Amino acid sequence: MKHPSEEQLIEMYYGESQSDLASHLRLCHECSTLYAQLQQDLADMKPAAVPARKAQYGEQVWQALRPSLPAYEKRQPRWQRFWNWQAAGLVAACAILIAAAFLGGRYWERHTSKSPAIAGNAASQAAAQRVMQVVLRDHLDRTERLLVALEHADPGDSVENTQLQTEARDLLASNRLYRTTASQAGDPALAGALDRLEGVLAEVANGPTALSSADLRRVREEMNTEGILFEIRVLRSRTPDSTGGADHNKGVSI
Amino acid sequence: MSENDHSVVRAVLAGDKEAYGSLVRSHSSAVFRVAFRITGNDADAEEIVQETFLRGYQRLPSFQLRSGFGTWIYRIAVNCALNRMNQTGIDADYRLGDESDPEEKVVQVAASAAGPERLLLSREIGAAHAAAMQRLTPTERTAFALRHLEDRSTQEIGEILGIAPNAAKQAVFRAIQKLRRELAPLRGNA
Repeated sequence: MKHPSEEQLIEMYYGESQSDLASHLRLCHECSTLYAQLQQDLADMKPAAVPARKAQYGEQVWQALRPSLPAYEKRQPRWQRFWNWQAAGLVAACAILIAAAFLGGRYWERHTSKSPAIAGNAASQAAAQRVMQVVLRDHLDRTERLLVALEHADPGDSVENTQLQTEARDLLASNRLYRTTASQAGDPALAGALDRLEGVLAEVANGPTALSSADLRRVREEMNTEGILFEIRVLRSRTPDSTGGADHNKGVSI
Repeated sequence: MSENDHSVVRAVLAGDKEAYGSLVRSHSSAVFRVAFRITGNDADAEEIVQETFLRGYQRLPSFQLRSGFGTWIYRIAVNCALNRMNQTGIDADYRLGDESDPEEKVVQVAASAAGPERLLLSREIGAAHAAAMQRLTPTERTAFALRHLEDRSTQEIGEILGIAPNAAKQAVFRAIQKLRRELAPLRGNA
């Protein structure tokens, strides 16, 4: 049989024992004697009577203490402080929203005001390009007719030859303008074709007043009017028909 | 009462210094009692009461409203008493007297309604007990006072003193063992 230690008996005395010592004490005379002695000793350790205080003791303590206590600064209740934080957060959120709305409005205004301008520019550019295409197509048509007439010109028909020269001079001036424009617009194919055409037009326009059959042959051979005519036809096919529904994005980009 | 204490604490923290007076008036007796039981004399206990409420006022912003003010100020009082004992040291040369007087090293013991012989013995045991209490370490004395005189559990003692419950239990055991050893010579007279 294992006897409880003094610590266990003390625990039992204060009701904090976790083991069942009572049954052991009933059976063990030695331990029950020790426990009885412990009870007696602890009972003898009576607390000294606490000296009685007067009824006004608390007031006396307070009056003695009062002068040395500084008052706390008034502080807001927690809920109010919390509300202040909330309010501050709300104000900040509103300010951010207002700023965002303002900036967004400005951006939107700029964006929407810019769009019609861009659209307008694009539309006007498209319109200008369409006009240009029509004019160029007309120029190419006239040039093609001139070259065809040149291919089949009768050297003996001085009237016809004079008309060809007049037409060539007229076309030469406009061709120079179109060539420059095509070159500036970055269309090397058109600019090259117009450049070669310009050479033929200049040759015809600046030729003798009465083109001989030899002159016509030389022009046809040296200037390769047949090749240029083919080029003109290709260019014409690139240039949308003003009356048709051809794709406006294709062809001449000037 | 606890809710009332909480509202008073809120008022004090809001700047109403006078409201603290009601807390002092309500709890000064309990603070004095524990201070006296730990120190064994009323002069020290009086000073501990003042110091306790002064510290309580200074620490009031840290007071958690979910705990009772009485419990909170009680803990401060115990620690003030413990600090005081640590500062003043332990002196065992106490003798029996009608009034506790630390300067004269006289301790007061409980009166008894028993007969003259028993009363005399009781006074003798009380004096020996008071003297033996002075020989305990501050922690042992405080732990014993809280356990035996204030009927606090070892768990509560541990919380009040800021030590583990087992350490509090051991402090109580050591105190009782020492006191029993001191009182053993008188046991034969009982």
